[in-house]
Amino acid sequence: MTQASLPLQKPATIRPRGAVFNWIGVIPFFLFAIAFLFLPSSSLFIGSFQNSEGGFTFDNILGLSQPKILDSYWLSIRVSAVTAIGGGIFGFLLAYAVSIGGLPAWVRSSITTFSGVASNFAGVPLAYAFVAVLGRVGFVTGILKDIFNIDIYEAGFNLYSFWGLSLTYMYFQFPLMVLVMAPALDGLKREWREACENLGATSFEYWRYVAMPILLPSLLGTMILLFGNAFGAYATALALTGGTLNLVTIQIGAQIRGDVLHNPGLGYALAFGMVVIMAISIAAYTWLQRRTERWLR
Amino acid sequence: MAYLELENVRKEFNNSVAVENFNLKVERGEFVSFLGPSGCGKTTTLRMIAGFELPTSGAITINGVDMTDTPPNKRNVGMVFQAYALFPNMTVADNIGFGLKIAKRPADEIKKRVKEMLDLIHLPVKGDSYPYQLSGGQQQRVALARALAFQPQVLLLDEPLSALDAKIRVELRSEIRRIQQQLGITTIYVTHDQEEALSISDRIVVMSAGKMEQVGTPFEIYNFPQTSFTASFVGQLNLLPVTVSDAEGRRCAFNGRALAVGQPIRFANGASVRLALRPEELNLGGASGDSQRNELTGAVESVNFLGSVVRIRVDVGGATISIDLFNERQLVLPKAGEQVTVNFPAESCWVME
Amino acid sequence: MRRFPLWSWFWFLLGTLYFFLPLLGTLNFSLRIRRDVLSLDAYNNALTDPEFIRTFVFSNQMAVMTILVSILLIVPTAYWAHLRLPQVRPALDFITLMPFVIPAIILVFGLIKTYSRPLTVFGLPVVPPLTNTVFSTNILLIFGYTVLCLPYMYRSVDNGLRAMDVRTLTEAAQILGAGWPTILFRIILPNLRTALLSGALLTFSIVVGELTLATFLARPAFGPYLALLGNHKPYEPFALSLISFALTWVAMGIIQFVTRGSGQGQLAGGH
Repeated sequence: MTQASLPLQKPATIRPRGAVFNWIGVIPFFLFAIAFLFLPSSSLFIGSFQNSEGGFTFDNILGLSQPKILDSYWLSIRVSAVTAIGGGIFGFLLAYAVSIGGLPAWVRSSITTFSGVASNFAGVPLAYAFVAVLGRVGFVTGILKDIFNIDIYEAGFNLYSFWGLSLTYMYFQFPLMVLVMAPALDGLKREWREACENLGATSFEYWRYVAMPILLPSLLGTMILLFGNAFGAYATALALTGGTLNLVTIQIGAQIRGDVLHNPGLGYALAFGMVVIMAISIAAYTWLQRRTERWLR
Repeated sequence: MAYLELENVRKEFNNSVAVENFNLKVERGEFVSFLGPSGCGKTTTLRMIAGFELPTSGAITINGVDMTDTPPNKRNVGMVFQAYALFPNMTVADNIGFGLKIAKRPADEIKKRVKEMLDLIHLPVKGDSYPYQLSGGQQQRVALARALAFQPQVLLLDEPLSALDAKIRVELRSEIRRIQQQLGITTIYVTHDQEEALSISDRIVVMSAGKMEQVGTPFEIYNFPQTSFTASFVGQLNLLPVTVSDAEGRRCAFNGRALAVGQPIRFANGASVRLALRPEELNLGGASGDSQRNELTGAVESVNFLGSVVRIRVDVGGATISIDLFNERQLVLPKAGEQVTVNFPAESCWVME
Repeated sequence: MRRFPLWSWFWFLLGTLYFFLPLLGTLNFSLRIRRDVLSLDAYNNALTDPEFIRTFVFSNQMAVMTILVSILLIVPTAYWAHLRLPQVRPALDFITLMPFVIPAIILVFGLIKTYSRPLTVFGLPVVPPLTNTVFSTNILLIFGYTVLCLPYMYRSVDNGLRAMDVRTLTEAAQILGAGWPTILFRIILPNLRTALLSGALLTFSIVVGELTLATFLARPAFGPYLALLGNHKPYEPFALSLISFALTWVAMGIIQFVTRGSGQGQLAGGH
């Protein structure tokens, strides 16, 4: 009788049709991933070991050693390293300040929101924002000149150069660090500090022997993540410098546009080399994060 | 002079009183438990001894030295935390040796001491393991070894067993007592578990709402509770609503039935009070004319078999009382609804508000 | 008892300056189209430019399509993996991490290399070149965006499913006689609302301003338009940048609002 009041519907059943049936549910996703993620990336991988006739060759990989390409990798690595370390340290200090630094709770929530926005604010608008603030007639450039009588461009600064680009990248780098490190700092238990004090340790000894070693894997891991984050950035650099800085991504962009290397295979090798560096950094990040999670379980 | 002394200790948080009027003298080598419900101030008091909280007023002395304002890292007091608080980045050996390392003792001395401690806690081969590889019970043993390794003057334990399984809890508590007696270390143990406190302590401080209710040996606390809080918090207690009929002659009336009371009655005749008695003091059957035993009758409500003990609940008219009988194979248990007579010695019951 | 946290305030102040100075600079520029007077003319010019409207509408269409494709692709897969194939979840985690390894510039490079000629399997053409027609290029763009946003959408949905204990809910519904449509549309999806919304908003804020894919697939999107605008207009780009920042802000604000307390973090991307 009670059945009658319910909508008459065939009850769902998961029929035991074995493993094959189970896999059908995830096939569309895997097909998509193969078609639009693995096929494109493996075609670049294959292309970097093929000559113009389609035969196997190492020439493209060896060709990466020409000075212009090595320079571009070196510049990309330096920009990524500087912004990863700089953004990492600053982001860590900020995360410390808002998580266990004794600031009121509203500061924490506002910094987290800012960080969510800023770490997603990149590309063309970010480049314009930095032109507006540190360009030749930018806001801060003007303030420094008019009020403090410091002409940063006279002093050798240029927004469209290495340091300018690095400062711009920092805008999305350090907020990412805050987003990852604030929860990690929360993971430091009060009891660890108390146990340390109880065993006679000073605050410095607590940081040196306990807190820092616990945080180090995720600190390093996140810096590596930041490194990859900057290494793969293209839109911001292009919009800011118009392609004048010789970064790997800029090189690849030029190669897609018009085969500036006059060798498609070399272009693929360039991309392949980049993926290798990205893959190493993401793998290192994942490994270090796991290590910390194991500790903090 | 007592080894550890708390004098008129008081602690306020944001104008609300957490602990007040706390006075305690603990002898060297004594094991004292602070027992009470959560929020009664027992942990706060412990944390004041450790130095994590500063008393609002009062004084704490250890071995004749005033420690009231000494920072925690200068107190030489060992502490074991509820959630173990082992350092996850260090091995078991490094955890245990941490206090000695901070004190800059030579490496071989640390090594020797760590080995001693590992033997003491019966984990001689776990020195190179990391805390996450140990069970909860093992972690807490390591935490205990870490707190003892640097030979503190006082050992403090803050509900060290409450995160563990029932079986491990019982095992570890006798282990803690064994180690404490072996080393003869003065120990303060905080718990909300009365069975734990009763089984492990030399003396118990029962606390409620920031105040000391009673201080005494487990035997005194259980058998001679001085306040109604202690009586009801420690152990099971039956409370019968009675009227004082003859204070001088130590007699009460329950449903018109006269009951003899062993202890002096400090209430006027006619006062409505409660008669307190422990379930294990009651027996099935009549008093068979013994004037020193009281008799009650009623219907059995339920019979619960708990293993070593059988708990029978009897409705004696207006109140239900519990009777605990020791399990024996030849025991004949009454059925629910059956009329029974129960008896208890006058000596075992007392009158409370 | 606790000292005033001077250094904490210092870092907070520095962080706040870093956040807001570029915005202040942008605002300042965008208001200075007329000499010596502050005016909103730059905004007026920028927003009424037909080219802006065209590209902005296009990017929004792409964003909506990307969100739909992502949801259709990810929700059933993630649900099924939670319910029946837990062993496949590490593989899903791995695949959805891949877009971090393959940045947009590499992805578009590979997409063009693969799909600008017929895709063959054992010598037989199965897919015609996708870059030949506008329609199929748009599809390629949407799929490319779906790949770029995979980590964000998948993490969101996965967290959402994890939080609700899919298996128990599904079994409870089955015992009460519910069919698959009821389970999916009346139990799983309503419980995923927050996760889907935050995934969708992240996708939206990444796609609308995206430059790399749109440029190389030569689609008239907002990102390339904004980049080009800088070459011939002095003030309007700043007005549009600020608007685009405001859009990101609104999207993140809504995410913060709907996920508050649920402990769902999100990471960044799309540079």
